[in-house]
Amino acid sequence: MKNLLCYGDSNTHGQIPGGQSTERFGPDDRWPGVLARKLGSSWHVIEEGLSGRTTVRNDPVEGKHKNGRRYLTPCLQSHAPLDLIILMLGTNDLKRRFWLTASEVAMGISCLVHDIKELAPGPAGRVPEILIVSPPPMLNDLKEWSAIFEGAQKTSRELAMAYEIMADSLEVHFFDASSVCVSAPEDGFHMDLQAHHLLGEALAQEIVNIGWINDN
Amino acid sequence: MPDMRFSPPNPLRIADRTSGLNAVRVRSHNERLVLSMLLRNGNISRLKIGESSGLSAQTVSVIVRSLEKEGLIVSGSAQKGRVGPPTIPLSLNAEGAYSIGISIGIRKTHVVLINFLGEITAHSQFSHEFPGNDIVHPDIFVAVEELLSKLSVKKRERVAGIGLALADTFRESEALNVLRELLEKEFSLEVFIQTDITSAASGESMFGKAKNLENYLFFYIGAQIHSRLVLNHQILRSATSATYDGGTLELEKRLGSDNLSINELEQLTEQESQHSKDLQEWTEQCSALIREKLRDASQFVDVEALLLSSYIPNTMLQNISTALVLPETGPEVVVSELTKAPKAVGAASLPFAGRFML
Repeated sequence: MKNLLCYGDSNTHGQIPGGQSTERFGPDDRWPGVLARKLGSSWHVIEEGLSGRTTVRNDPVEGKHKNGRRYLTPCLQSHAPLDLIILMLGTNDLKRRFWLTASEVAMGISCLVHDIKELAPGPAGRVPEILIVSPPPMLNDLKEWSAIFEGAQKTSRELAMAYEIMADSLEVHFFDASSVCVSAPEDGFHMDLQAHHLLGEALAQEIVNIGWINDN
Repeated sequence: MPDMRFSPPNPLRIADRTSGLNAVRVRSHNERLVLSMLLRNGNISRLKIGESSGLSAQTVSVIVRSLEKEGLIVSGSAQKGRVGPPTIPLSLNAEGAYSIGISIGIRKTHVVLINFLGEITAHSQFSHEFPGNDIVHPDIFVAVEELLSKLSVKKRERVAGIGLALADTFRESEALNVLRELLEKEFSLEVFIQTDITSAASGESMFGKAKNLENYLFFYIGAQIHSRLVLNHQILRSATSATYDGGTLELEKRLGSDNLSINELEQLTEQESQHSKDLQEWTEQCSALIREKLRDASQFVDVEALLLSSYIPNTMLQNISTALVLPETGPEVVVSELTKAPKAVGAASLPFAGRFML
């Protein structure tokens, strides 16, 4: 049995585009659920998606608990041993209040990778496989979120390249979500049902491609 | 003390992809390792690459992604394994890179265009009155231009370089410098120069039956017979000449001809003729010489195979192989399948070897 942690934000939580913040897709329709079904019974998939989660920033509005780095270590220790950790974050770092460039957001991701490597929560205390996923870029019309994300659309399109460069230099796996799905028009930055399914299926293939030695 | 972990990453590898193949960049050892593995074995998974190379899954992931984006490798469709989920096999992309090979002989010059798998996609040849080594034949430029023009503009950008194979005895000369400079200037491609026999062995090691041979003796039967020792995939050449009489010049002498064409050679093998006896004797002489050279080499190294290459018809080469009659404990005798312009194909392998392989 292999353990996989999906560490992300509202798009991992399964928040419905344009819906209330309490509205969420069902477990089978969220990408970690799609992924779990595709991978089959030899994988245990752990969902860890928190709406508003950033990579490493304390959010002065939403609270310090949204800082992805703050919760990462206890989360890893709770679920260790982990064979694979998927990090899909960065969208919330693009809020106007943080005013960051794409490479600064990627730098935040790199902090999380360094934390994981330092803790080494893999089997037998090894460093687990790490897969960085760049979120699908925002659409131009962000509806009522426009002010909060003012000017973020352009940066969101630069995330994939910045993440890939970071993944290369850290020697970790990388996947560009925009290669298979887009943000939904309802609010311009959340994923709809179809996007969750497409991403879950693509990530399942990506995980298989990593190549795993059968240890049973 | 600055924390190196949080200095900006080096964007070189990724940023480079957009500029196409011709960007001058030192390819990393690990990238060359993966490309060399895929050259020897198509259709292998990332897991297999990791197992055989000792690279971590994450390193393989980064390299494969980079090579795939560059268009040098392609992933096939998912293969259902006997156990576990389907895996995706990887291979070199035939259209990922091209190369031009020029082999300048005494009477003839061959020019080929090959793809990344070593397949000839276009071939041109011309005869010349004077040995090709000492003068620059303008026909070379015509031939190279003709072959390059067969590629679309996009594919033209994926030509890795020009390989130039010259007779064993070639020396640095004014004519050679002029030729190299003109080729580089005219086509904006890097030129790689090597002796034609080493080139032919290189082509054999990269694309031929020697792909998976680590140690072997290479024999080329041309006007004369030439040999090379290949150890650990490296083609070695001694300082003293490894060229012996007994090639097709000798056959011509026996038959009283001064220039046997391929067609004439083919006719020789096809029918019982007045020359059958001469041909038989020549075949025996060739194999005796090869046996002798093998015995010499065997005193120092243990080779797993002996590879025969030539431009002559394959049946003639097979006959020499049969006449060898080596003891069962001896090396395996392998007859090359690169029958069309083996020296030029070898020349074309030089840019690939220099730019992509270990």
